[in-house]
Amino acid sequence: MVLEIRNLSKSFGGLKVIDDLSFGVARGERLALIGPNGAGKTTVFNLITGVYPADSGGIFLEQTDITGLPSRYRTRRGLARTFQNIRLMAHLTVIENVMIAQYARAPSVRAMLQPVGFGRANRWRAEARAALAEAGLEAYAGEAAGALPYGIQKRVELVRALAASPHVLLLDEPAAGLNPAETEALHQVLEAIARRGVTLVVVEHDMQFVGRLCPRVVVLNFGCKIAECATGEIHADARVREAYLGSEELA
Amino acid sequence: MLEQQVVNGLMLGSVYALVAVAFTLAIGVLNFLNFSIPGFFMVAGMLTWFLLRAGIPWPIAALLAIASGGLLALLVERFTYRLMSRSAHFVPLVTSMAFLILFENLVLVGWGSDMQRLSLPFETVSWRLGSTVIAVPQLIGLACAVLAVASLDFLLKKTQTGRGLRTIAEDADTAAMLGVAVGRVVPVVFVVGGLFTALSGFLFAVNYQQASPFMGEEIALKGISAMVVGGMGNIWGAILGGLLIGVVEIFAIQGFGARAVDICVYGLLLAILFVRPTGLLGGVIRQQRM
Amino acid sequence: MSGYLESVLVLLAINVILAYAAFLPMVAGQLNLGVAAFVAIGAYSAGYCSNSFFVHPVPAALAGSAVAGIIGWLVAFPILRTRGIYLALATFALNQVVQGTILNLDVVGGASGYPVPAHIGFAVVAAFSLAVIVLVFLAFRTRFGISVTAVSDDERAADLMGLSVRGLQSAAFTAGAALAGLAGALYAHHFNYIEAQNYGVLFSIYIVLYVLLGGTQTVYGPLLGAAVFTLLPELLRGSAAWRYVIFACLIIAIMSLRPQGVILKRSWFSK
Repeated sequence: MVLEIRNLSKSFGGLKVIDDLSFGVARGERLALIGPNGAGKTTVFNLITGVYPADSGGIFLEQTDITGLPSRYRTRRGLARTFQNIRLMAHLTVIENVMIAQYARAPSVRAMLQPVGFGRANRWRAEARAALAEAGLEAYAGEAAGALPYGIQKRVELVRALAASPHVLLLDEPAAGLNPAETEALHQVLEAIARRGVTLVVVEHDMQFVGRLCPRVVVLNFGCKIAECATGEIHADARVREAYLGSEELA
Repeated sequence: MLEQQVVNGLMLGSVYALVAVAFTLAIGVLNFLNFSIPGFFMVAGMLTWFLLRAGIPWPIAALLAIASGGLLALLVERFTYRLMSRSAHFVPLVTSMAFLILFENLVLVGWGSDMQRLSLPFETVSWRLGSTVIAVPQLIGLACAVLAVASLDFLLKKTQTGRGLRTIAEDADTAAMLGVAVGRVVPVVFVVGGLFTALSGFLFAVNYQQASPFMGEEIALKGISAMVVGGMGNIWGAILGGLLIGVVEIFAIQGFGARAVDICVYGLLLAILFVRPTGLLGGVIRQQRM
Repeated sequence: MSGYLESVLVLLAINVILAYAAFLPMVAGQLNLGVAAFVAIGAYSAGYCSNSFFVHPVPAALAGSAVAGIIGWLVAFPILRTRGIYLALATFALNQVVQGTILNLDVVGGASGYPVPAHIGFAVVAAFSLAVIVLVFLAFRTRFGISVTAVSDDERAADLMGLSVRGLQSAAFTAGAALAGLAGALYAHHFNYIEAQNYGVLFSIYIVLYVLLGGTQTVYGPLLGAAVFTLLPELLRGSAAWRYVIFACLIIAIMSLRPQGVILKRSWFSK
């Protein structure tokens, strides 16, 4: 298993947000993490990436215990993510945003002092431009990231996450706010990424999207895992239906 | 001897307390560190000297000096808070610094750089309590400070304007949506701060019989230390912090000489920022936005 | 070159170094109100070196810069645990404490000022200034440039992208301190006299303000800021106080109309 969570728990104040959560993801797999609002899905991502320390339990990346490791080291070991509320660096251009993530591949003082200059000649800049071109975003390369439309920013964030050459990619509501055409484009992009061997863990509310992309799903409610099964079978699970009672999401 | 030092410290502290209240109001309600406040202090003090020297009766001089604080505060408000935009969160702080420079240098241009001595048109009376001497004007200053803050406390808790201010402190955008007349209420914060500071400047000039274009930098700036030590955003904390800083200063002079004052007062600020940034009475920790 | 023109150019050269000393922490998101403290540390330690150890002024200046840098690095540990306004306040407090400490050090003259006879001429000052400009320009063409900007934009996201936030912030702060120390040391050895009274928070404020005037989005901004601050008074020929009045009004105007400063970032990506 490339990513594994064992008995993870987290409380804020007196409130237990994640309760003894365990699940694993196999290499190259596409796993969906779903649940009603407030189930703790983003919190799980935050725990995995080290935004918060876990109260108890373990997180394992490539069978290595990363539970106490500071966030930047987790990224340098091949864990990348996108955010529910896009977090691009507003004062950097699109291409600079992408280049930021390149550092994680070979972090060192020397790497920090490497020129990233101007023009096509520079290797890092060329690589970032190529990645943007592959995503159809080359035209935006020189634009300030903060000024772009939402859909473009989401795509840039994905390119940025990939620039770190991750083994595992955590996607927090990648389809949120996208229209059907954009959602379809996103699906194609993620399929391509998965085919290249990147393991995907996707938090999503769009069940159609989940159904097409992820064969397996883990269902969360109130911080507990209430189901873990093939995507097609969640309708049959009574606890899942109960959790979504009244919600149209599962339809 | 010790009691005298403590009394002296408290008297000086009341000067800091008023300035600290002005600082803490701006931070607490507007999340804005108003660096122009020492400028109000200095202008009020210099104006007091100037008016008294020109023979103006002291009640009028007092009124004018104190009012100057309110007027200058309104000027600053127009160019700082009014123009606060989301992206450039440091702008109000920076602009307030520019105002401090403006006020200090205008006074330098107008009245030169000398420290001025005040000759008071009235006798200063002192009370004796055992072996301790308390100058009555200084006691009045302390009483003013406490009274002013008590009134402010009342304003904040019991009046409509006060509720508006507290709502703005929570969240300026929500406040506007809830119908708080932000455009009318925010100037109140500035004016109150300006008046308090100017009052403090006037009292200082009268009690210590001196005023200089640098008194903002040298004295009122310590109000920031008082504010943080007492707890940012807490007006009673500002009083406590001010009195504490005053006492610390007097004892520092006593123990180490006048040149050690800055080290002690600002060293205390530094220590509090590292160890307990919420201050003694627990102020607010706010996100970003200067 | 006339003596007057030369002293103006020397001031310009020194102000440019000061501008970058403030610029580096600011790009990393730190409002450093303690710049003046490091200028003073550099000036006084360099002066002490050349006075007491009879070191040649140029190595003394470098020593002064190093001392300022080391102290900056040490102080960065506690200071960088604070953020935003607390950081600004901590650097402000630091500035006053340092100034207060120097005022008490009679070995370097205390409140009476400190003469530093060893002289550094205009050519050397100018050379240092140019070197600093080149270094800063080069630094911002490296990954360091975009990384510190990233940290100031969104610290959490930068951390999650694998950047060492503390390392970058510390580097910017320390480099700023070293540059400030260099500027101070050069000033001490050119004008041959320094006074602790000049290194209060207001001096830091002047520097920060003229950097903001030029703009912190590009490496050219601080140059423009330093130039305006140094040359404007010469054009206006008023008393020192009048110059600052005009400067303050200029700042207020700029902050009202164009808070990002005069020079804005053009995208460097050219096809």
